[in-house]
Order: sequence, then C-alpha cells, then structure tokens
Amino acid sequence: MLSIKNLTASINGTPVLKGIDLEIKAGEIHAIMGPNGSGKSTLGKVLVGHPSYEVTGGEVTFDGKNLFDLEPDVRARAGLFMGFQHPIEVPGVSNAAFLRLAYNKKAEAEGRDELDPLEFDDFIREKIKLVSMKEEFLDRSLNEGFSGGEKKRNEILQMAVLEPKLAILDELDSGLDIDALRVLGDAVNRLMRPDRALLVITHFPRILETIRPQFVHVLSGGRILKSDGPELAVELEERGYDWVLEEAAAGGRR
Amino acid sequence: MTPAVDASLLSELLATARPEGWEPVRAAAEARLEAQGLPDTAMEDWKYLDLSPLRERSFHSAEAASPAPAASDIPGLVHPEMMATRQVFVNGFHAPHASCATAIPPGVRFFPISTASEACRLLGTLGEGAPDFFEDLNTARFTEGAVILVPQNVRVEVPLHLLFLNRPAGDGVLPAVFPRVLVALDRGAELELVEEHHGEGAYLSCPVVEVRVAEGAVLRHERIQRESLDAFHFGALRAEVARGGQYHSRTLSFGGRLSRQRPRVRLAEGAEATLDGLALIGDSQVADTHSFLHHAEPHGTSRQLHKCVVDGQARAIFNGQIRVAPGAQVTDAQQQSRNLLLSEKARVDTKPQLEIYADDVKCSHGAAVGQLDPDELFYLQSRGLDPEDARNLLTYGFAADLLARIPVASLRRALRHLVLARTQAASLGDLA
Repeated sequence: MLSIKNLTASINGTPVLKGIDLEIKAGEIHAIMGPNGSGKSTLGKVLVGHPSYEVTGGEVTFDGKNLFDLEPDVRARAGLFMGFQHPIEVPGVSNAAFLRLAYNKKAEAEGRDELDPLEFDDFIREKIKLVSMKEEFLDRSLNEGFSGGEKKRNEILQMAVLEPKLAILDELDSGLDIDALRVLGDAVNRLMRPDRALLVITHFPRILETIRPQFVHVLSGGRILKSDGPELAVELEERGYDWVLEEAAAGGRR
Repeated sequence: MTPAVDASLLSELLATARPEGWEPVRAAAEARLEAQGLPDTAMEDWKYLDLSPLRERSFHSAEAASPAPAASDIPGLVHPEMMATRQVFVNGFHAPHASCATAIPPGVRFFPISTASEACRLLGTLGEGAPDFFEDLNTARFTEGAVILVPQNVRVEVPLHLLFLNRPAGDGVLPAVFPRVLVALDRGAELELVEEHHGEGAYLSCPVVEVRVAEGAVLRHERIQRESLDAFHFGALRAEVARGGQYHSRTLSFGGRLSRQRPRVRLAEGAEATLDGLALIGDSQVADTHSFLHHAEPHGTSRQLHKCVVDGQARAIFNGQIRVAPGAQVTDAQQQSRNLLLSEKARVDTKPQLEIYADDVKCSHGAAVGQLDPDELFYLQSRGLDPEDARNLLTYGFAADLLARIPVASLRRALRHLVLARTQAASLGDLA
C-alpha cells in the first residue's frame, strides 16, 4: 500500500530525514518509535505533504501512485490520513459543518452520494459514540478551546468519518489520560480492516498495548536503526532507546 | 406606542436634561456645520477617509416615504423572535404599519421622537467629546427617531428590533436620512437591542444613537450595518455606563461605499463594556471605525475585538482609542485588532491608541494584519479540502467567529448566510 525508498527531506535547508526505507502492506499495523527529535513526526508530515518540509530525494508510492505527484488534499481524498500531535484550532467553523464538508469532498471524489445535513446528523451521531464524544463538541468551533485530549478525540472522529486506507497517528497518547487512551485505541482498532493499514508514531510504548503492531521500527537521527516484531516495543519499554543507538553506532546500520 | 412622558425614568432624565430645550443645540450644530464644512484628509481624524465621492453628490433630507415597504419582502430581515417588537423606520421616519409593539412588556416605553417632543431636551446630553460633522448633521436635521426607556429592575426577555430601511426617493433625488435613537436603562434593567440598517440605491445615512445604562443595568446591543454598496453611512454612538453597569455591543459592517462607525463609551466605577466589531468589505469599499473607550473611574473592564476582512481594492481603517483616567485604578482593558487581507490591493490601517494615566492597571492591545495562516490551510487540506475551499472556509470562519454569540438564532443564521455569500464560501454548502 505504501512503499518508501531512500526518502530524504529537509526543513529550511537542514536535513531531517536521511534515507528512510519502509514497506506497509494492507492489513498491517506498524509502529515508529524513537527519542524526541528523531524525525518521527517529520516522516508523517512529509507523507501527508506538509509545506514546511522539502523532499530532497527518494521515492514514495501510495497504492502504486507517486505520492509526491499528488497535492495534500488529493492524497487525503485518495485515502491517506494523519492524526496530528497538535491539531489546529479553526474559530468560526463548526465542527459538524467541517466534518460534513470533509466527508462530502471525499464522497464526491469516490463517486458516492453526498450527505445532506439531516443525513449527516444521523451518520455523525453514530460516529461520536465510537470515540465517546459529547454531542456539544459538534456545535463548537473546530478544535477551538478543546483540551489536548478533546483535540485527539476529534482527530480520531475525523478518521472515523473519513475512513482512510492508511492512517498515520502521531503521538496519539500525548494529552490523553489512561481511560481516554483506551477508548481511542479501541476506536482505532475497530476502524482497522484487512484492506486498511496503520502507522503509529509514538515515543512511549504504552499506546501499543491497545493498538498492537506487527512491526516496530526505531527511528533516530533521520534513519531507521532497527526493525523487528512487537517484542521490540517491550524491550524498549524495559531498556529505553540508548542501547539501540549504541548498537547501531557499533555495528553500522541494520 | 402613545408617548408616555409620565414614565418616572423619563421625568428623572428630563430633570438632568438641558433646561433651555432643544433649539439652541440644533442651532449650535448648524453653526458648526456652516463654519467647518465637510472634513478633508488634511484633518488627523479623516486622514485615511477621503470624502471626495460624497462631495461629488448632492443629497436632500428625506421626506416621509409612503407607502412603507414591507420588510417581509427582504430576505434576512425577518426574525421571528423579534416580529412582535420590531419597529421599522423608512428613510428615518417611523413606519407604524410595518411595526409591532405587542411583545414590548408593560412598563417599557417605546415611542417615536419628533423634534417637538419633550424627550428632545435629552438629546446631545450623553457621552463625551465633540460631535463630528455627521453627528452635527443629524442633530441639525433629524425629524424622527426612537426613545426606549426600561424602568428599574425590568428585564426585557424579548430582544427589541429597530430596523432602519433606506429607499431611493424615486424622483432621482438622493435622500439623506438622519435616524436618532435614545436608549435609557434604569437601575438593574436589562435589554437586548438589535439595530439594523438596510438600504437600496445611493443615499446618505447618518444615524446617532445615545445610550444611558444606569447602575447595575445591562444593555446588549447588536448593530448591523447592511447599507447598499452605493450608500454612505456615518454612524455615531454615545454610551454612558454608570457604576456596575454593563454595555456590550457588536457592530457588524457589510455595506456602504464609504462608512464610518464612531462609538464613544464612558465607563464609571466597576462598569463593563464590550465593543466588538467586524468590517467585511470588498470592491472599492472603505470602512472606518474610530472608537473611544474611556475608563473614567476605577475597577472598570473593557474588551474590544475588532476584525476586518478586506478584499478587492477595499480599505479598512481602525483607530481604537482607550483612555484610562487618572485615578481609574485596577482598570482591565484589552483590545485586539485582527485583519485579513484577501487581495494584493486590499489595505488596512490600524492604530491602537492607549492613553493610560493611572498606574495600577491591566491593559493590553495587539494588532495583526496578514493573510491566512499556512498551518490552518494545510490542516484543512489534509482533510481533503482543495486549497480554494480551504481558503474560503478559513475566511468565513475568521469573520463568522464574531457571530457565534449573537443571541437571536434567526439573526445569527441570516448573518452567517450573508458572510458565507460574501466570503465565496457559499459553494461549500450550508455551514450556518
């Protein structure tokens, strides 16, 4: 579904991704872990086309198409989604109106029927149950005045509305208490299907107890230093990141 | 609807009105008009507002229009919540057949003022500072308007709607209209007032609104300027807020080829004021706001958020003066001027002007002029909105943010639709 080959990228002329290789197939859950400042979030933002980053080399295909030929909104309508660590607040635009607009744009691109406000009302009421969101948040301005946890809940609500093929979730657990994390983790699991995939970016292994990956990668200094099965997350929980960095420094890259 | 000059509040007010009556005030205004003439850009207050287009035209005081148009014909002007309090004025003249007072509670006095009425003695006694040219013009020429008196501790549940409709005279003469409004809330009274100006064709509109909020009273005042794009609108507002009183206003300017809002508010001890504003303009419109907030006594609070959305070759001006008088300690004043430029030729001149003569105060101001935030644009794009839709949605949101707290649902909705249409966001569907 997603194939990354020797991807390099920079911000303001400073290289931050220094050659990333990653294959994600339908039905798979991958986790990217690493210390702060390792380039984890950058990888996600580059994939969804954040304008602050410049792709300097490498290739990425999504469903066989060159990802970098597609504008960010086209990528979104093609089924790529990123749940951001720090979602933006948009005053004056109601959450419900925005969600309906985003849903209808995707439906239009896929040749499905758009939903009118009443139909969407029924649709969204089911979706907010999935993330245990209170209805009042639908009438409020998009993310405005939301707590960190409420913003994360809203990101997963957007994911539930858009039903992406590949969702990248960046530090979903930050700002969430343990109960909210379980609710959102369960919601993400229920949205997972054999024809979809997940890329979970996280510093802490805690979230991987709910969203269980088959593949865990350690990213540091803009490179993937180590890739393994889910047991790697357990080892990182016990031993931290330093040993991976030392191992990589001693033996070259994997 | 019959003049109720026996209302105790009016008697009390009249006791403090000028004893000599109205005519000397009118004569003084007339004398100033003749001496000064139309302001020009050499004057500091008019530096950015060139009145040449006004000079090229000749306006004549409007005469009572007959018959009054049905306001029900005008989309966005019918608000079911206020049908039974609506007072319609056509070219400045009260239109009783289009008005209704059944929901105005007993005790609350509403009556049209004519220049002959006793209430006239009150006019021009409220607020501070010299009137500008257009306020003088109103004082010298007005013939009708409204007086609203709310007695002590009366909370008016239904918002009161003053609708000023401006219409071409028909014989090619450009009308000049001079609506005059006096609102007085007695101690502990509460009122929501919606003041709406709407017009067609070319005309000059110079409304003057005078407000007195007594101790502990609360006035919420929505001011909607939807004049035609060929009109000239120069509005003056004077408000005096007594101890512990509250005056909250929101002024929304959409129309007018040239327009100016000139609110002046005086706050006594512990009084609160909100003076929010939005100017949403395009083409070659010019919208000017010159505000003056005076913290005359201690413990006052004021909030002012002024937003401009400027497209085409339009130009917005904001001059926000806040004065904290000597001794007005523990004043809390916050002012924000936020401006969005949508085209290369659009222009904003914003000037916060804080004059602080007390030392124990909390005052802040900020001004921002710019384009849409790239992070916000990207966020919307990442959810599948193309760049144009994202821009339109953010522009709509920037403006509509100020509508969220309008208490009348149908009015809020009508204004959201107006903003949708004006920000090219209508194609995004019903966001209201």
